[in-house]
Amino acid sequence: MSGATTWQRLRDDAAARTAGAVLGAVILAALFAPWLAPFDPTVQPDPVSLRLLAPTPTHPMGTDAFSRDVLSRLLHGARISLGVAAGAMLLSVVLGTTLGALAAVIGGWVDAVVSGLVDVLIAMPRLLVVIALVATFGALSPGWLVLLIGGSGWLTTARIVRAEFRDHLQRDYVLAARALGASRRRIIWRHLLPAVAPQIGVAAALALAAVIPLEAALSFVGLGVQPPMPSWGNILMDGTDYLTTAWWLVVFPVTAIALTVGAALVLADRLRVAIAGGERTP
Amino acid sequence: MQFAPGDPFATALEGSDVPPSVRAEWRERFGFDQPPGERFVRWAGALAQGQLGYAASRHRPVAEVLREALPRTLVLVSVALIVGFALGIAAALGQVRYRRRWPDRLLGAITLAGVAVPEFLVALLAMTWLGARWRIFPVAGLGSLGDAAAWPLWERAIDFLWHLALPAGVLALTVAARVARHQRAALLAVMHEDFIRTARAKGLREWDVLVRHALPNAIGPVIALLGLALPSLVGGAVLIERIFGWPGMGLTLFDALLARDYPLVLAAVLLATIIAVVARALTDAVAEVVAPRRASAQ
Amino acid sequence: MTALLQVEGLCVSVAHPGNSDPVSLLRDVRFALSPGETVGVLGASGSGKTTLALALMGLLPRDFTATGAVHFDGHELLSLSEGARRSLRARRISIVFQEPLTALNPRQRIGAQVAEVARAHGERNATRAHRLAVEMLSRTGLDDADERAHRFPHEVSGGERQRALLAMALLLDPALLIADEPTSALDVTVQAQVLQLLRAQQRERGMALLLVSHDLGVIATTCARTIVLHEGHVIEDTPTRQLLAAPEQPQSRALVDAVRPPEPAP
Repeated sequence: MSGATTWQRLRDDAAARTAGAVLGAVILAALFAPWLAPFDPTVQPDPVSLRLLAPTPTHPMGTDAFSRDVLSRLLHGARISLGVAAGAMLLSVVLGTTLGALAAVIGGWVDAVVSGLVDVLIAMPRLLVVIALVATFGALSPGWLVLLIGGSGWLTTARIVRAEFRDHLQRDYVLAARALGASRRRIIWRHLLPAVAPQIGVAAALALAAVIPLEAALSFVGLGVQPPMPSWGNILMDGTDYLTTAWWLVVFPVTAIALTVGAALVLADRLRVAIAGGERTP
Repeated sequence: MQFAPGDPFATALEGSDVPPSVRAEWRERFGFDQPPGERFVRWAGALAQGQLGYAASRHRPVAEVLREALPRTLVLVSVALIVGFALGIAAALGQVRYRRRWPDRLLGAITLAGVAVPEFLVALLAMTWLGARWRIFPVAGLGSLGDAAAWPLWERAIDFLWHLALPAGVLALTVAARVARHQRAALLAVMHEDFIRTARAKGLREWDVLVRHALPNAIGPVIALLGLALPSLVGGAVLIERIFGWPGMGLTLFDALLARDYPLVLAAVLLATIIAVVARALTDAVAEVVAPRRASAQ
Repeated sequence: MTALLQVEGLCVSVAHPGNSDPVSLLRDVRFALSPGETVGVLGASGSGKTTLALALMGLLPRDFTATGAVHFDGHELLSLSEGARRSLRARRISIVFQEPLTALNPRQRIGAQVAEVARAHGERNATRAHRLAVEMLSRTGLDDADERAHRFPHEVSGGERQRALLAMALLLDPALLIADEPTSALDVTVQAQVLQLLRAQQRERGMALLLVSHDLGVIATTCARTIVLHEGHVIEDTPTRQLLAAPEQPQSRALVDAVRPPEPAP
């Protein structure tokens, strides 16, 4: 089963295309937020008469308790939230792939150390570890959040990549390449990584789906992105004070979070199905 | 382990009349004047001798605090696990039975939302509407009988369950959503197997085919996966406990963090990790019993 | 004698998601089967043999569509409700599959899997169902059936697994048994034993047998008549002896030439 056919199957999958379109739209919204947002996300034009306005044509998603435009805050929040999420995902996937691949290819004590580390760390509740660390360091800038969240998320990827690499190392085409005298580096870059790429894609999508709620949870305990800088997590958190009075403060941010996480999960699911060769018919 | 400025005495005695000289004396007595590295080594050494230390924020030994909090969290998490597992498997069976029809799509959308919507929001919504607005369930705490000992046992039990319902229910929903998604995928993979065709050829009802033949062959990975997901469940329990004021490990840990009570924080994280490791070994063993790996006999 | 099974203009097609045109697997298949008759269905792989077997059982996957008419035992199968078809399965019309290892549930004891047939068709007493299963297992030639019934599929031999599948199929004494490549997955010596068992049971019960195979050697020793399938069409329907002597179609000739049967059926 070659990588090309897996991606081909994924492209032919309607659910995967929808999920991809959703993610793409969210990413575009984040990229073009300064041009799309009708207002400044941090300016409080009139905290008395413009506060907690229900959605109107001027404010399609209403205003918050400080009279700020919710749509503008969500768009700018997407930059922070997706930026942190993408950065953390990238970090954890690169870290996980590197360590998993090294463990599989080198074996021996490297494998023992990496596998042992994964086994111990994976048992520690990630949210607790991150909360404990953030609480220790005090509130963090988005850059540090990326390091912390990404640095704690490589375990699953490392597991998957290690298992896949070990499997592929035993296969005929790798043995043949070795027999032909290909170097280890060449085998890794030309054969193993492309073959395992779809699996890494699954790990990446799952990592993204895990990071966004983590940022939101950190905001919930007051340790996430600090106001007035908007993030989906802290916009939602602000909204929870008005659960019964201003629905728009909760509904729009949670929709943004759920759509993005849901799209990432669906993409991971469909990619898995595509890897398995689609749904067989007997 | 403690890099941040401040110590338990700074927060606990904030704004009090305790003179600085007394604080300094206490700091010295409890060792807070030492550098963090040295304190961590001392803490680890004491731990090796079974000493968990003193939780300054609670004015009690750490072991005592944890001994009280642990059972509450175990009750919360295990009820959520059992209920969530049952709900999730039932949902997955329903989805596969009515594959690609509206029950499958509806449950698929619900379980996806159950994973994608942050659980603290679900908890807050449940608390606001079911608790504060409609007053069906209490908003917080372990019980509301005042002097509990004065009440008969069964009333205390009902009161406890009534208070458990919301936090355990919310946690169970998040478990159910994850279990359902994995169980559905595992069931669909098994439905392609030859023995499913045999079961149908026997004249079994589709539901019996699912429950008697597909499920036993598809449940093993889901149980094993649950062991892996346990740490995140414990993490979720922290938020839930905080929202519903459920004084278990999570709330203890959280309060300890705010109070910078590091002996308590370290011990709580350590205990949570040990529990997760033990639970994983346990689920792996259960998975092996429920669904032993097929012997490769040919 | 009226036909037990009469297939008229049976067409099966499958719609693959992505492809707009459904693919035809069976086209205008017609043949009849009298009670107690043994008929072979011969064809190369991909000729539609297994599709035919599954269509008769009503076990085609959901994205397959069957049109035409299949009369069986006074019922019109294709227009029957799912519940009514289910009650015919294993009771009036049974099937034995090719690969006995994967056709058995790996996590259920053999005896329980056989007894389940009785329970699916109304036997409420578990002990009685189990006794029935053990009895049938020993009649299909399982040595020490009482003990074997408590084993899991991977704990017995391939031949024993196929005997267990046969016991399931025969438990309720069906009028028609479909055997889909029943011996292809077995060792040569075991193949002969299973075929012999199949013939003996067929004769003893007087049930009709539809033996599906790519191997004319297997069919020739068992079936008086043979239907040749090629790309979803019935291209020949003749006494086996005649097929062996003078196949009419070039495709049949290829299948006949592929074997030198040890001895034609009488």
